[in-house]
Amino acid sequence: MSNTKVSTYRERVEYLIGNSMRFAGLYGTGQGQSVASVFVDQSGKAMLELCEVVDAKVPSIVDIVPAAQWDEREAHDLYGIVFEGHEPLRPLVNHDSRLEKWTVATTGGDVYQVAVGPTHAGIIESGHFRFHVVGDRILHLDTRLFYKHRGLEKASETKDLTSGIEYVKRACMACSVANGLSYAHACEVILGLRPSMELRRVRTILLELERLWNHLNDLAQGCAGVGMAVGNAAFCYLVEQARQINNKVSGHRFLAGSIRVGASSISVDSQELEVLSGLLSEMRTSVESHWRELTFNSSFQDRLQGVGILNREKALKLGIVGPCARASGIIQDARNGCDWLAYDDFQPVLTREGNGDVKSRFEQRIEELWQTFDLLDGLLSRPISPANCDPTGVPAPVGVGIVEGARGQTTCVVESNGASIGRLHLRSASYANWPGVACCSVGNLLPDFPLINKSFELCYACVDR
Amino acid sequence: MSSYSVISGIIQLVGGILLCPLLPGLIQKVKAILQGRQGPDIFQPYRELRRLWGKSTVKVEGTTFIYQLAPSIACAVMVMAVLIVPISNVSPSWGIGHDAFLLVGIIALGRFFMIGAAWDTQNGFGLMGASRDGTISIFAEAALVLSLTACALESGSSDLRVIIQSSAGGGDWASPVLPLALMAFCLVALAEVGRQPIDNPDTHLELTMIHEGPLLEYAGRDLAYLQWNASARHWVVLTLMVEVFLPHAKSTLLQLVALPVELIILCIVIATIETVIVKMRVLVVPRLLGIGTLTALMAIVAWKMAL
Repeated sequence: MSNTKVSTYRERVEYLIGNSMRFAGLYGTGQGQSVASVFVDQSGKAMLELCEVVDAKVPSIVDIVPAAQWDEREAHDLYGIVFEGHEPLRPLVNHDSRLEKWTVATTGGDVYQVAVGPTHAGIIESGHFRFHVVGDRILHLDTRLFYKHRGLEKASETKDLTSGIEYVKRACMACSVANGLSYAHACEVILGLRPSMELRRVRTILLELERLWNHLNDLAQGCAGVGMAVGNAAFCYLVEQARQINNKVSGHRFLAGSIRVGASSISVDSQELEVLSGLLSEMRTSVESHWRELTFNSSFQDRLQGVGILNREKALKLGIVGPCARASGIIQDARNGCDWLAYDDFQPVLTREGNGDVKSRFEQRIEELWQTFDLLDGLLSRPISPANCDPTGVPAPVGVGIVEGARGQTTCVVESNGASIGRLHLRSASYANWPGVACCSVGNLLPDFPLINKSFELCYACVDR
Repeated sequence: MSSYSVISGIIQLVGGILLCPLLPGLIQKVKAILQGRQGPDIFQPYRELRRLWGKSTVKVEGTTFIYQLAPSIACAVMVMAVLIVPISNVSPSWGIGHDAFLLVGIIALGRFFMIGAAWDTQNGFGLMGASRDGTISIFAEAALVLSLTACALESGSSDLRVIIQSSAGGGDWASPVLPLALMAFCLVALAEVGRQPIDNPDTHLELTMIHEGPLLEYAGRDLAYLQWNASARHWVVLTLMVEVFLPHAKSTLLQLVALPVELIILCIVIATIETVIVKMRVLVVPRLLGIGTLTALMAIVAWKMAL
């Protein structure tokens, strides 16, 4: 952590970005007295830059780091901090009923708007999409999320570090391990704890199990997006199987409550382990056969190619993370070089083409599924027993946890206040990727949007924290 | 009037008006089985109709009589279409005859009022669906008119009963006219019944809707009318296919016996297509239907050359 003066803040950010550091979040802290921004270097080490707020104003860095646009808008809504140079500073969390406050004005004789949500026809979380359309082609898309902002970050303040996990795990069930683990790691850094080898193994298993069911679910949703009911049914069946495996391992179908600060109470004996390995290898065979069917279904493939292209340049600019970034050809995976989980010799995979269209996003997930099956195969070689952390004896005031969840890099920053939480900030992969959905929809057909959206398959709850 | 004529008339009325919901019901059931689900039984559309019939309708603020009348007009038009499409070569004329081109016009009239209703409500999704429906129907109608024309030219009359009579048996099938017209009509049939790859009747995705879009604002009895309308459309299109476009027997009895069997087979075929083929990109649909138009043109050319 380093403190920066207002006058040198932008220079410092420019310097960090110039030295191949990646932006990983920005938030208001100290009751709005300062702004903290997180940067990650190539090896996955995080760095915190604190900038003091003077007269409720801070220079904006959005021109240097476009990925910070949501973060700055959120900090403005939650703490009233004005980011000078961020024009127009549209509301994000604080919903303004006036349309001109949050949408981009589009004019022209044939332009019309289509408002979708926040209540949808299917079982979808709350989010409002406002399409500016000519004919069936999307000119611009404004998204409005944060309908169910629960103030979890605020509510967790003053709670002690171990019970803070209860707030983080409630942010989102689909990402409960990724979110929980990033929090747990941040707390362990603060407490001066280092996970034992067994704890690393258990956590890696949980994280990969979460990736397994999420990726399968993404593929099922992709099939639903083009009306491929049979593919949807096949993958939904596999999702259910994966959740039953989750239940066997952790006692919860969504693995909720499986992550604890500094310890793990999960135990799997050799008999149960054999059953699990059998189930996983069966599952792998079915995924292979279903994917083969989809690969050779030309009507399915026709829908994917060239739709919703997010090129490498745009993805880098917007700070897209996870499989969606890798599908655009960005080799970036927080599992690579992570020394506190059991990802020894991990190398991220990329799809062959990686041009950032819907097709490559689905293929990327399949490639990662094989990797996940391999990882689980290796990790589940011996029984799992309850595990703990070893003290390193070097406590810190602030901890940052960075985890590669199913949707990408999740960052959790915990500022301690004695043994309790001073400020908690959770920036999930969905938070980072939502602007990408809006960006790559432009120029596509309106009826293709559900498919584009499903190729990202982001959480609403993860941002409604 | 022969006894076959009376029987044909009874089957036409009972089938087209009362039994038509069984067709989408059967398609749903077969789809469910193909997807590994149990699914609701084939009588589910009747339960839906009963449920909707018991509910009150919704009057959208600011709408005019077009919105209110559209479901009834669409249904009246569909009843007419049921009467126009004969199920055998001796079907009764019901006082309106069996002219092929009257059928095309009648179907267009129903569509016109549904599009009008979407305009009336000013609902974005309704308008979107209506505009897509309008666009696609331009292409579907061309293929429909041309394929019917090919059949009419072959048999020398646009009266569907005469067409059935003259194309019965195997003789005419030696020339490519009828097979080409059938191919064109197959594509039209998928578009008209709103099935994949053209439209997805099961979708919950508002942005992809075509036929479902203009229905969004309707509830209760109005929606029941429109759902029956969609079922009757299955009957009209599939009966036309079985009796006019597909090879059929000379004997009236065989024509009547083959009808239910072939309808069931067609429903299974539609369900299978819907299972293995996904919905195509909306702008590609006109191209697909354009192929139908070209095929129908080829049928006419083939007829001309055979003269």
